[in-house]
Amino acid sequence: MEKRDTLLIVDDVMINREMLKDIFEDGEYKILEAANGEEAIELLDAHQKEIALVFLDLVMPKKNGLEVMHHMSLNNMINIIPVIMITGEATVESDVKAYELGAADIIYKPFEPAVVTRRAKNIIELYEHRISIENELELRTQELFESKRQIEQSNIFLINALSSVVEFRSLESGEHIQRVKKYTEIMLRHWRALYGGEQFTDEQIELMVNASALHDIGKIAIPDNILLKPGRLTDEEYAEMKKHTIYGCQMLEKFKQEENEFYRYCYDICRYHHERYDGKGYPDGLVGDDIPIWAQVVSIVDVYDALINERVYKPPFSIDETYRMIHDGECGTFSPKLLKCFDDAREDLVSANTKQ
Amino acid sequence: MIQEFYEKINGNYEVALSRMQNDERIKKYLNFFLMDESYKQLADAMELNNCEEAFKGAHTLKGVCQNMAFTALSTVVEQITEELRAKEFEKAKETFPIVTKEYQKVIDAIHEII
Repeated sequence: MEKRDTLLIVDDVMINREMLKDIFEDGEYKILEAANGEEAIELLDAHQKEIALVFLDLVMPKKNGLEVMHHMSLNNMINIIPVIMITGEATVESDVKAYELGAADIIYKPFEPAVVTRRAKNIIELYEHRISIENELELRTQELFESKRQIEQSNIFLINALSSVVEFRSLESGEHIQRVKKYTEIMLRHWRALYGGEQFTDEQIELMVNASALHDIGKIAIPDNILLKPGRLTDEEYAEMKKHTIYGCQMLEKFKQEENEFYRYCYDICRYHHERYDGKGYPDGLVGDDIPIWAQVVSIVDVYDALINERVYKPPFSIDETYRMIHDGECGTFSPKLLKCFDDAREDLVSANTKQ
Repeated sequence: MIQEFYEKINGNYEVALSRMQNDERIKKYLNFFLMDESYKQLADAMELNNCEEAFKGAHTLKGVCQNMAFTALSTVVEQITEELRAKEFEKAKETFPIVTKEYQKVIDAIHEII
């Protein structure tokens, strides 16, 4: 940043201006002079990047000192360019008033050169220092935002990497998890629009969507002979398969650092995405809205995605057929509120799928 | 020479010198003082019975006199400034001739040395 090197002296009395000029005759600063408020404002506008300090008389023709200060406030100069008020006499009221208007300091006539130069120097340094601290702070804040953004990106990358491990092993369609994320987001936004009373913030929705990617993470603990079995599972095998909800939670618990929101969504979604609204799901047999809404949402979109896509054991179903099956309770039971939200989101869910 | 001037008008030469650094510069300001119009503003306003304008003139003149260390003139100007500030125009009318006398004394003395 260019160093400010100019003083603006504003006083209608020429002798006063000359005296201040002489005080700063050593050439460290360039001097601008104004004999009234109007001239002062013109010079301020033209030289606002160069002016380091303003000496300002209060009583002047053609706009007084107060009007000059007002102009500086309106144009965001008052916090950058310090103003030293020049006044004939010290009264508490006029001093308080000057400070209220944003004056950095007050000097009284007659001028004492040593005092005036010292004060001016101090105030210029003070403002330079403050402005540089503010700039520094601004820079740091930007850096902080940038690193936060990078951390978020790496988090998403890691979550995706982790969840793709399961897909990779289970030979499922590699896009299932990406679709579940997309559907989860669509459903949560419709949920928010439909049921204003249970609002989620954008940040919460983002966390839930990321958490949804991990819903089947526990499947990596299921042995190959069950996970990859082409035919129907025996009762025993099916019982083991159901445990992927528990295994997922156990894994999460191992690297849980502290109770936080994201962890909670991950845990709930891993554990409860096979619960049913009628209490006949697994692993805990939770009933109704004891099942967290984010787990209910992942549950329905997981079923939806399985139905509309081809699996080794079934052809893809049409959207109409899929909606009918879900509504008729052929693939689990869902709450009326969730089904209403599912209907509401239908168009978006379908178009999200065709966009791929 | 400048010192004698200050003695003649009951000013404070030491203060003036410390403020303006040297006689050359004091002389420059004495010239400026001749051009200053605040006394005229005060005198015109007194003539027109305009208390507010008279106050502005007196107030400016006071600041200038203090800067120049014209102690005697400064004292009477301060007095009339306060009277005008308090809107005691009758009192100010009585003070004004003394201001004029002191002012003229200073002006005459300046003319003598430059």
